[in-house]
Amino acid sequence: MANQMTEMLKGTLEGIVLAILAAQPAYGYEITARLREEGFADLAEGTIYALLIRIEQRGFVDVAKVPSEKGPPRKVFTLNEAGLAQLEEFWTAWRFLAGRIEELRAHRTPGSTAHEGA
Amino acid sequence: MAAKWIEALTGSLEQKREYKQQMARLEALPAPYAEAARALNRYFMYYGAIADGETLVTMLGDHVELWERAAVDGTPVSAIVGDDPVGFAETFVSSYRHREWIDKERQRLVTAIGSAIEQERGRES
Repeated sequence: MANQMTEMLKGTLEGIVLAILAAQPAYGYEITARLREEGFADLAEGTIYALLIRIEQRGFVDVAKVPSEKGPPRKVFTLNEAGLAQLEEFWTAWRFLAGRIEELRAHRTPGSTAHEGA
Repeated sequence: MAAKWIEALTGSLEQKREYKQQMARLEALPAPYAEAARALNRYFMYYGAIADGETLVTMLGDHVELWERAAVDGTPVSAIVGDDPVGFAETFVSSYRHREWIDKERQRLVTAIGSAIEQERGRES
């Protein structure tokens, strides 16, 4: 179960992070903290960090380096126009997938092999 | 003057300097972060196949920064890497692979298949 969850999350995490950044600019740890609050308890901070870098390399965010009291400056990520377009694409794909999968579940008939307890 | 043709032979000296600085920063991390960073760095070199110096230097810079941040914040290694170190390392590297030589080959493949399909269509009509 946990493993299936991880695999599914992998495919949608980029969209989730773009959606969070659409609400407001943030740095890596803020995003991880927010996702943990929302129930993604097992999420590693590095996973989000790597994903933010990927998003940055693909040009979906603008990055500002904000000095911190200790350590290296924090990178604050702001969604740009390309990022917004990517997010819209994500929602379209998500609506399609979620709709189709729900339909599969609703049309499951007692005779089908997917029937629980069969 | 001399630096110019040396760079033509060996790649950018500036990048070399940056690379050395990054490796020094990596070694200077406190335990256990240095160990984790070193292990990941080693894996990057085997798995990465990153051909250009600029991409490599960018990647290593980001990597060192990640661990410096973690060391200052006291974030545990496990919270950074998660329960799948290999998956973490490969995701990290793959973020930087877009300028790789394989991109050229990918483009070549797409073009070749495209022209094959066109030929097929030509025959049908």
